[in-house]
Amino acid sequence: MTIPADIENTPPRRQAWWRALMRDPSAAVSMIVLALFVLGAVLAPLIAPHDPFEGTRSVMQPPVWAERGDWTYILGTDGQGRDILSRLLYGTRLTLLIGLLSVGIGGFIGSFLGLLSAFYPRLSPFVMRFADVMLSFPAILLGLALVAIFGPGALPVIIALSIATVPDSARIARSIALSVMQQEYIEAGRAIGLSDTAVFTRYLVRNSISAIMIFMSLRFGQIILIGAALSFLGLGARPPAAELGMMASQGRDFILFAPHIAFIPSLTIFIIVLAANITGDALRDVLDPRMRS
Amino acid sequence: MKHPSKSPGRLLLAGLVATLPLGGMAAAQEITIVREVDSNNYDPQKSVARAAAEGLFMMGDTLVSLEPDMQTVSDGLAHKWDVSEDGRTYTFHLKDGVTFCDGKEMTAEDVVYSIKRWVDPETKSPVAWRAGDVKDVVALDDKTVEYQLEEPFSELLYQLTQSFGTIVDKDNVEALGEDFGISGFNGTGPYCWESWTPRDKLVMTRHEGYDWGPSFYDNDGAPHMAKITWQVVPEENTRTVALLTGQSQVTQYIPAIAIDQMNQAPSVEVQRSDEAFWTYFMGFKINKESVSDPVARAAMNLAVNQEALAEDLMFGKVEPAYSYVSQGALDWNEDLDDDLLRYDPERAKKMLDEAGWKVGEDGVREKDGIKLQPTAYVFAGSTWQKVSEFVQAELLKVGIDLEIQAFDATVAWGKLATQEFDVFGMSFPYVSSGDALNLYFRSENMPTPNRMNWDDEETDMLLDKGKTALDDETRADAYGEVLKKVHEAAVWLPLYHEPMFITHTAEMEPVVPHNNYGAGLYKGLDLKFKE
Repeated sequence: MTIPADIENTPPRRQAWWRALMRDPSAAVSMIVLALFVLGAVLAPLIAPHDPFEGTRSVMQPPVWAERGDWTYILGTDGQGRDILSRLLYGTRLTLLIGLLSVGIGGFIGSFLGLLSAFYPRLSPFVMRFADVMLSFPAILLGLALVAIFGPGALPVIIALSIATVPDSARIARSIALSVMQQEYIEAGRAIGLSDTAVFTRYLVRNSISAIMIFMSLRFGQIILIGAALSFLGLGARPPAAELGMMASQGRDFILFAPHIAFIPSLTIFIIVLAANITGDALRDVLDPRMRS
Repeated sequence: MKHPSKSPGRLLLAGLVATLPLGGMAAAQEITIVREVDSNNYDPQKSVARAAAEGLFMMGDTLVSLEPDMQTVSDGLAHKWDVSEDGRTYTFHLKDGVTFCDGKEMTAEDVVYSIKRWVDPETKSPVAWRAGDVKDVVALDDKTVEYQLEEPFSELLYQLTQSFGTIVDKDNVEALGEDFGISGFNGTGPYCWESWTPRDKLVMTRHEGYDWGPSFYDNDGAPHMAKITWQVVPEENTRTVALLTGQSQVTQYIPAIAIDQMNQAPSVEVQRSDEAFWTYFMGFKINKESVSDPVARAAMNLAVNQEALAEDLMFGKVEPAYSYVSQGALDWNEDLDDDLLRYDPERAKKMLDEAGWKVGEDGVREKDGIKLQPTAYVFAGSTWQKVSEFVQAELLKVGIDLEIQAFDATVAWGKLATQEFDVFGMSFPYVSSGDALNLYFRSENMPTPNRMNWDDEETDMLLDKGKTALDDETRADAYGEVLKKVHEAAVWLPLYHEPMFITHTAEMEPVVPHNNYGAGLYKGLDLKFKE
């Protein structure tokens, strides 16, 4: 099979959307911010200035820009005398990990179910009713129940958030796949005698995947927020692990006297979620054919 | 640089003080007391919560009462009492003219009914043992009660000052049935039950004509306050702000972090008492592999810097504890003072090394395949979260990896009655060494409150000896012996003794902190606005 020359000469699609994305300044800034947080999280053990778990006797040190702040503890220390910057790096790590894993696992299972129910319409009522049942169950409640069974920790939170992601992604994937199923190439594929598996993977999955990914990127911010909320309630990370929601919760006791202990991790959650949402929005604008004018 | 003297938060507080409404409710003789938690009910014989005691001390009376020094037993419903020579018969002479809130006169029959209800197995009182080994309680006449014991009980009078011994009204108990102490309570106390909304507020009004309060109160008549509202405010900063803005007039639940600022604020005053006898500790379940070695337990005691805990985490507002009960408590064994385990991490490491606990590759010590990795169950909430994380960090420095699991108070008590954990975090009130020892170290109290599984015949024998002692010296000797035994075995890791701080607005007369069962306001007879 030879590729026609004029197609070969057009820039690849990926480059096109990347350029479009970078033309949107808010999207560009958001992506850089996200990239910095990811980098900080990945390199946490290398760049953290102090041990994030070891308490010192200088408790409640203000950050460097405040009066009496100093460069030893750039963002100050918490109620146990631990360096907030180091805990923030490690905390971002756990927060991002919880978000990524939950969206990844839940999104994979959900999308697969959604695509399957679009491909085999007979499955559809079962999958969709199941999704409806799941949707009526708040993620926080599910998290509470799982923590009651397994005890507090990152794992039950990831399981709860994954489960909470399944119904949404199943519905979205199904609606996307349904429109793809109407396309003529699906019919053409069947006409040339391709197996179900081949039509499913080569035509349906490949043509739905980008739209599903957009949904996932939007979901990511939400999941981080719920994960942080669960940790704030004391259900997520187990001490001495650092997690942004947990750090905010611990800082609550000091809010009248050393507000930075709660404020810094809260602000970090805010920035990460905002950046994730703007990036997701921008991705949708660029990738979704229906949004292109 | 430990305590920030200038921070945005402080400015916030200053702002709040500046906007303080003057006068408040002074004219109305009504106050709101904020507190952290509510009780599950207000049935004196059934609830062991401090929150229940707070309400019951005000709404009910006990035969005898306890002075703020936590040592002197004073009058209550009885103005006088005699103890027989064999220590088995107590005769209480009741005051005249005592009435319940519904106007009915209180008689010896009510006392008999209340004590019998306390010890009746049907009642399932978790604290029936506190009433002693009761043989019978009889009313000799309308105003005389004879309290007969099978065995002498040296602490009986102290125990009778507790809210569990509150005299209740039989008709009221029977009329309300299961709802007694939930939908109503008819007592003889200085205040009367008005309403209770669980986890929100308990409202009580002045008991008109009340004049039988304990003699150590200056106020020998009815309380000054016409109405008291106990408002539950779980969040500590909100309580602090409530005091500063005059939404609440009195509380003992101001976080340690805010005490200094409260002291400086012109609109509030802080009263402190060190005779609080409320101790925080972590206990070891001594038959669990990771904490079964007394050397390892002693090392854990040496590894934790209680002074830093008290100074940094509790802002110097608590006393670091090295003893299991306050060294000021009745029958404390002074011979132990010099041998208490104090912070010495180097010695801890050396002891562990010598005992064969070698540091493994992951930095955690182990011996014969057993890792020093105990699991601790603690209460969820800011205090234990802070304290247990501190202990965790300290132990990690000597190679002990404490795993913390925190549970909400609603499930924690159940979890703490199991055999699942190795270490548990707890705090408790006591009136004397004997009170604490009998509660925690009797073998019959396993699995709870003897969560350590301290099962020792000699201890039981000594505790019996102390409990039934007829003179102070025998009792002190027996309890002193038990104290020595348990301290030597390092079954606990004592953390700190919490003094009582009562914070009230400056419009109120100074309140004397009373410490009985940690209920700082006790009978509330001295709550009064300045004139």
